[in-house]
Amino acid sequence: MKRDNPFLVGLAAIAGLLFLSPVLYSIWISFQTADAYYTGGTAFTLDNYGRAIGQYDFARYLLNSLFVSGMVTLLGISFATMAAYAFARFSFRGGNLLFGATIATLMIPSHISLIPNYLSLAKVGLLDTYAGLILPAISNGFAAFFLRQYIRGIPKSLDEAAYMDGARPLTVLWRIIVPLSRPAIASMALYIFMTEWNSYIWPLVAVGDKDLYTLQVGLARLYRINPGEGLVDWPLVMAASTITILPVLLGFLLVERHLVRGITMGAVK
Amino acid sequence: MLRKLTPYFFVAPLMISIAVFTYIPILSSLNLSVREWNFLSPDMPFVGLRNYEQLLASHDFWNSLWVTTVFAVLSVPLRLGLALVIASYLTRETLHSRLLRGALFLPSVTSAVSIAVVFSWIFSTDYGMVNALFAAVGIGKVHWLQDPFLALWVLIFVNTWKQLGYDIVIYIAGLQAIPGELYDAASVDGGRRLHVFRRVTLPLVMPTTYFLLVISVIEAFQVFTIVNVMTRGGPAGATDMLVNQLYEIGFVLFDIGRGSALAVILFVLLVALAILKSRIIGRKVHYEA
Repeated sequence: MKRDNPFLVGLAAIAGLLFLSPVLYSIWISFQTADAYYTGGTAFTLDNYGRAIGQYDFARYLLNSLFVSGMVTLLGISFATMAAYAFARFSFRGGNLLFGATIATLMIPSHISLIPNYLSLAKVGLLDTYAGLILPAISNGFAAFFLRQYIRGIPKSLDEAAYMDGARPLTVLWRIIVPLSRPAIASMALYIFMTEWNSYIWPLVAVGDKDLYTLQVGLARLYRINPGEGLVDWPLVMAASTITILPVLLGFLLVERHLVRGITMGAVK
Repeated sequence: MLRKLTPYFFVAPLMISIAVFTYIPILSSLNLSVREWNFLSPDMPFVGLRNYEQLLASHDFWNSLWVTTVFAVLSVPLRLGLALVIASYLTRETLHSRLLRGALFLPSVTSAVSIAVVFSWIFSTDYGMVNALFAAVGIGKVHWLQDPFLALWVLIFVNTWKQLGYDIVIYIAGLQAIPGELYDAASVDGGRRLHVFRRVTLPLVMPTTYFLLVISVIEAFQVFTIVNVMTRGGPAGATDMLVNQLYEIGFVLFDIGRGSALAVILFVLLVALAILKSRIIGRKVHYEA
C-alpha cells in the first residue's frame, strides 16, 4: 500500500466512527446498568449479557443461528460448486437452458415463494424444524453463476491431463477445480453465510417454537415484547443486538477483502 | 453412456432445489391466488379473480402501493447519487480510502433487525440520541416514528444508511475499471473537474448505475425487515409497504388466496419494471465494445 497523508487517515477514521456511531453507541449502552442509563450516569456491568444469554435464551438462539447458517452454507456452496463445474466444463443437452434458469433466479423476487413454501413445508411436516429453516435457503443462483465464471478461467489442460491419468470427473472436481477455486469458493461461502445469518422474514414465518428461533427473530421479539415507549429495557435489548451482530462483525474484520471482492466481481464484469 | 449423464448428476441438487423452492412456488402462487383458503378449511374452492378484485377495491392495497412507490422513488436516487459522489473520492487504494470504505460498507453486512432496533432507539422520543442532540440546541421533542410523514423519512434514512456502503463498493469497482487515459485526455482538453465528471465518469459508469438501479428498485419494493421491526406499517398505514401487507394478509390474517394475489401482483410489477428499464436504459448501457 502506498504512503498516505496522516491528516487524511485521521479524517477518514473520524468520519468512519461518526458514520458508525449509532451502532457503536448501542454497544456502549449494552455494558451500562439500567439505572445508570436512565439517570444519565455511567456504571459498567455484564449483567445485560448475562440476562440476555440466560433468562432470555440468546445462547440458544445463537446456536440455532450458527447451525442453520452453517448448514445452509455447507449445502449451498456444495450444490453451487457442483453445478458451476458442470456448467463450466461440460456441454450437454439442456445445459444452456438450465444455466439460464439458474441466472434467472437472480431476477426473481423472493417474496413470491413465501406463502407456497410455507404451505408445502407444512404439508410434509417440516414447519417448526431445522430442516424447514434450512432447505428453502440452499439454492443460490448467484454463487453458481459466480463460480462458473471463475472455473472457466482455470486452464482446461489441467482437467485433460488428469483424465489422461484415468481420473473421473468427480476426482477432477475435488482434486483440481476445488483447490484452484478456493478463494472464489471462500468468498461465496462467506456471502451465503452472512445472507443467511441476517435473514429474517423466512425464519419469522417458518418457526413458531421458541426453541428454534434464530437470533434475528429472537431479537425482534425481545424488542417487541414491550413496545411501549420508555418501557423498553434498552441496555438489555442492546446487549442482545450486540450478540446478534458480533459474529458477522468479527468475520467481516477478518475477511473484508474476500467479501468485497466476491460482491464486486459479481456486479462488474 | 454413463459419461453422458455425468453433468446431470452434478447439476441435479441445485436444479431440484431451485425447482422446488423457486419455480414451482411461482406457479403455485398463481394457483392459490384464484382460490379461497384460510389454512383451516378442508377444501379450497376456485373463486376466479375475486381475490384480485377485492385487493384492487381495497384502500390498504392502493395505500401500500403508493407508500412503496414513494419509498422507492425517494430512496433509490438518494442512495445512488450519494454513493457515486462518495465513491469518486475513494477510488484510490490508499489507507484512508480503504478505512472509510470499510466503515461505510459495514452496515450492509450487518443484521437488518439489529440496525432497525438500534435506530428505533436512536429515534425514540424520550431516550433517543437524535432528540437528545436536538434538546442540546434547544429544539423540543420530535415524535419521529409516531408522525406519518417523518416515519417514512426515518425508514428511508435507515435504509440508505444501511445500503449506501454496498452501492459505494460497487461504484468504486466500476470507476476503477474506467481507463485512466480517458481522464488524461479529458483534462488535456482543459476539462474542469465537474465537466470531466459529467462527460467522462457519468457515461462510463452507466453499466454500474444500471445494475444498481435494477437491484435497488427491486430491493426497495421488497423492503420488509425495518418496517416490521420499527413501525409495523404504522402510524396509520404511513409506512405500510407491499411486503408488509403481504405478511399481514398471508401470515396474520391467514387469507392465503388474497395474500397470493398480492404476491402475484407485486411479482408482475417487478418483472415489468425490469423489462421497462432495460427498454429505456438498455441502449445507453453498453458503452464499451
